[in-house]
Amino acid sequence: MTALSTETPSRPAAAASPAALRARKDRNRALALLSPGLIWMALFMVLPMCMVVYVSFWTQTTFSVEPSLTTASWQRFLGSSTYLAAIGTTLRIWAIVLVATVAIGYPVALFIGLFVRNKTVQTALLVACVIPFWTSFLIRVIAWRPMLGTEGAINMILMKLGIISHPLEFLLFSEFSVLVGMTQIYCVFMVGPITFMLGRIEPSVIEAARDLGASFGTIFRRIILPLSLPGVMVGAIFVSVMVLGEFATAASLSGRKVNLLGNIIVSQVGSLKWAFAAVAGVVLTVIITAVIALALRLVDLRKEM
Amino acid sequence: MQSRALRPVLATYTALFLLFLYGPMIVLAILSFQGPEGGPQFPIQEWSVYWYKHLLGFAGTSRVSQLPVGDSLLRSIALAFMTTVVSTVLGVMSAEAFRTRFKGSGPAFYLIILGMMVPGVLVGLGMALLSNTLGLSRAWWSTSFVLHVVYTYPFAFLVMLAIFNRFDRSVEEASLSLGVSPAQTFRRVTFPIIFPGVLSAMLFSFTLSYDEFARTLFTAGRALTLPLAIYGTFSVEIHPNIFAFGVLTTLFSFTLLVVYGLLMKRFTARAARFHGQEES
Amino acid sequence: MFACEKSINGETDVLTLSRVTRRYGANTALDGVDLVVPDNTYMALLGASGAGKTTLLRLIAGFEEPDQGEIAIHGERIDGQPPHLRDIGFVFQNFALFPHLTVAQNVEFGLRHRARAPITDDAEIRARAEAALELVGLAGFGHRGVGAISGGQRQRVALARTLVCEPRIVLLDEPLGALDANLRARMCDELRAIRERLKVSFLHVTGSETEALTMGDEVAVLAGGRIVQSDAPEMLFTAPRNAAAARHLNAWNIFPAGLCAGGAAQGEIAVRFDQIDVSPPGAVPDGRPHLAAQYLTGEFNGPTALSFFRAEDGTLLQVVDHLSTPRLPELTEGARYDLHFAPDAARQFHGAA
Repeated sequence: MTALSTETPSRPAAAASPAALRARKDRNRALALLSPGLIWMALFMVLPMCMVVYVSFWTQTTFSVEPSLTTASWQRFLGSSTYLAAIGTTLRIWAIVLVATVAIGYPVALFIGLFVRNKTVQTALLVACVIPFWTSFLIRVIAWRPMLGTEGAINMILMKLGIISHPLEFLLFSEFSVLVGMTQIYCVFMVGPITFMLGRIEPSVIEAARDLGASFGTIFRRIILPLSLPGVMVGAIFVSVMVLGEFATAASLSGRKVNLLGNIIVSQVGSLKWAFAAVAGVVLTVIITAVIALALRLVDLRKEM
Repeated sequence: MQSRALRPVLATYTALFLLFLYGPMIVLAILSFQGPEGGPQFPIQEWSVYWYKHLLGFAGTSRVSQLPVGDSLLRSIALAFMTTVVSTVLGVMSAEAFRTRFKGSGPAFYLIILGMMVPGVLVGLGMALLSNTLGLSRAWWSTSFVLHVVYTYPFAFLVMLAIFNRFDRSVEEASLSLGVSPAQTFRRVTFPIIFPGVLSAMLFSFTLSYDEFARTLFTAGRALTLPLAIYGTFSVEIHPNIFAFGVLTTLFSFTLLVVYGLLMKRFTARAARFHGQEES
Repeated sequence: MFACEKSINGETDVLTLSRVTRRYGANTALDGVDLVVPDNTYMALLGASGAGKTTLLRLIAGFEEPDQGEIAIHGERIDGQPPHLRDIGFVFQNFALFPHLTVAQNVEFGLRHRARAPITDDAEIRARAEAALELVGLAGFGHRGVGAISGGQRQRVALARTLVCEPRIVLLDEPLGALDANLRARMCDELRAIRERLKVSFLHVTGSETEALTMGDEVAVLAGGRIVQSDAPEMLFTAPRNAAAARHLNAWNIFPAGLCAGGAAQGEIAVRFDQIDVSPPGAVPDGRPHLAAQYLTGEFNGPTALSFFRAEDGTLLQVVDHLSTPRLPELTEGARYDLHFAPDAARQFHGAA
């Protein structure tokens, strides 16, 4: 019995081929290299997210939360038309911005990726699209105020041209200004991936199709659109994730008229309603997870990057 | 035929798009030269650099309180620097690990990528709740810092992954066959060759962290970082001093970009040599 | 038994592979390879692309490990050892020079940074690197960047970088594959000359039978995951031991023995291109095995002419005629002829190949 048990553990090691040993060594090395990053993500991303779910069931008192479990915050959230409206607003803004970034960004990507043949010009145009990304996000949001205000640049120009006699009020501190701001800020994330995908199309493929007498409409529908769709999907993932988690643009440009889930979280934390903020956080997580899951069904992110 | 007509249309459209992208920043830059009595809109009362002086504290007493940029700027730079170092190291290690095929690489990939997907408010909230529960005080150099790494590490990882995808493994094998240990091989062969990629990963990490505020909002405690100081002005009336700040911080980002460009240029000569080797 | 081999051959064999097997999933790349590389030998390893030549070298160098079998140097097992402790030189097909270092730094790299017995004396390193560069004909090129030299020069740097470390054996993975034809011929001579001066064994992998036959003191043929024959080039060329080896030499017609009247009826027969004669049907001299075939076309190659025939079962046959001593009759395309050969010119193989 003892003799058997001492022999058994040494057997697999002796029987393992050099190839198996090398494979095991490589795997262990990979895991050792990877574990600090994964542990970091587990501790500082997964754990906090679990905490959000957990705290959403805590009991909220006036100034703090207590770890006795209750669904009171959930009931209050789901029973309030204000908060349900916030979900609606978040989804509406997300959908509009998503459509707007595709609609505005796609032709630009089409031009840069397909119509500009000169590599230098192509790169220069792409860089021109990306450069605003290097300036401060908050500054770019604030920059819309002097543009859209009643005394802003657009109203001023329109009045000088005699198109309008009174400044347009709806431009700033409205849903419109939030949509414009977000579209401008996130468009880059749509243009980039689509351009990248279009740039990979062999020009000879399109030449060949044209030689065979295909019209541009046909070429676009049959070749360009299908090949660029992964780019649209990747861009859509980027834009969705960022727009759904937004609160700063709405806080700055809506004049408190637009309340996204993000704004609810911020204001609830401001008044120390942690459990309630957590409920809003879980709702937001569910929405984002659903959107990403849907997108990942349509595109393999790992392959496209 | 149609595509020939389409070309100028698309070119015009792209020009308009660029105007849409840059317009607000240009207006902002113009308005930053507003006179001391002017507001944050047209018309320009008089051209002056008053608001720049105001921002830097040289304007004397003013109806507008000064932006708290001094200390918060230093904090933001320190935070961005810490974040850059840690996320680049983690990014290089993880990308190196992904060169070997191993079971579970798919979930590991998505776990890392999740860091750039999860909205800042959510992880920020979670981190605040976690530190409250554990009784830890929140500070920019602790709770904010770890979240910044969660955000920038995936970017550094993706950059390095792309670099390693194009990396010719045989140079490493050549080094091993000369009797050089794996550790020395990494130090003397792999690292110098991937260094331009490392530089890009660092640039990404630094800019993202320097500008990040959603993750900092709930986790920074009392001492503010630069974006938080700006965010604080959102709720109150804005003044042209914010525009002046916007111009200066944009210039700072561009300086960073130029430094990066110069560093890259030093290595392009080597990269050219490398390509020369492959073409033959 | 293995210990016995060691005591006999230990003095003269550098590298011994026994029953080395490597699988990738369901594919078996190498299936029990036995190979011996003697001391002070230029060994050529001939194989078609995809035959596992590179895999074999990578196993010896330790970049990969075998699933089964043993690899030994001077009788000491090296499989399982990390590659940097094996003391084996490797010259890559793409040269794999360090792009961020100069020519001299490339050559000095191993001496300076190796784990075992690195040299610390700068003057000695420089002297040895310069000597190595001189050996490969690149004296004075040390300060250049590796991107600023030609393909052939890169090849020499790769060689110098390996040789300066005085490895126990040098593995060359299609070292001439990336060079143009002129350069290839010159490098052939130089590789042989350099090896003879250093007296270290080279194991040179190639897909070209001419390269293998000119370069090798000994040539091993890798086919179907095994070494099918390992012999001196003349032996291999004149007396391949099996159909697989014969096929790689591009000089032998191989056909089923049954096609042939007056020969054995089993297995396969191989006859060299230059040892087949052609006669009109029915005019075969007595005592010579022969087979019927249709003349397809001819190809004129300067000093030799190549004629193609198709046998009754579809096998393609080639006949070489030397212009100085022509022995073929006038041939008409599409006409039938009898191909015949001396009984002792044929090599007969048994079993499937």
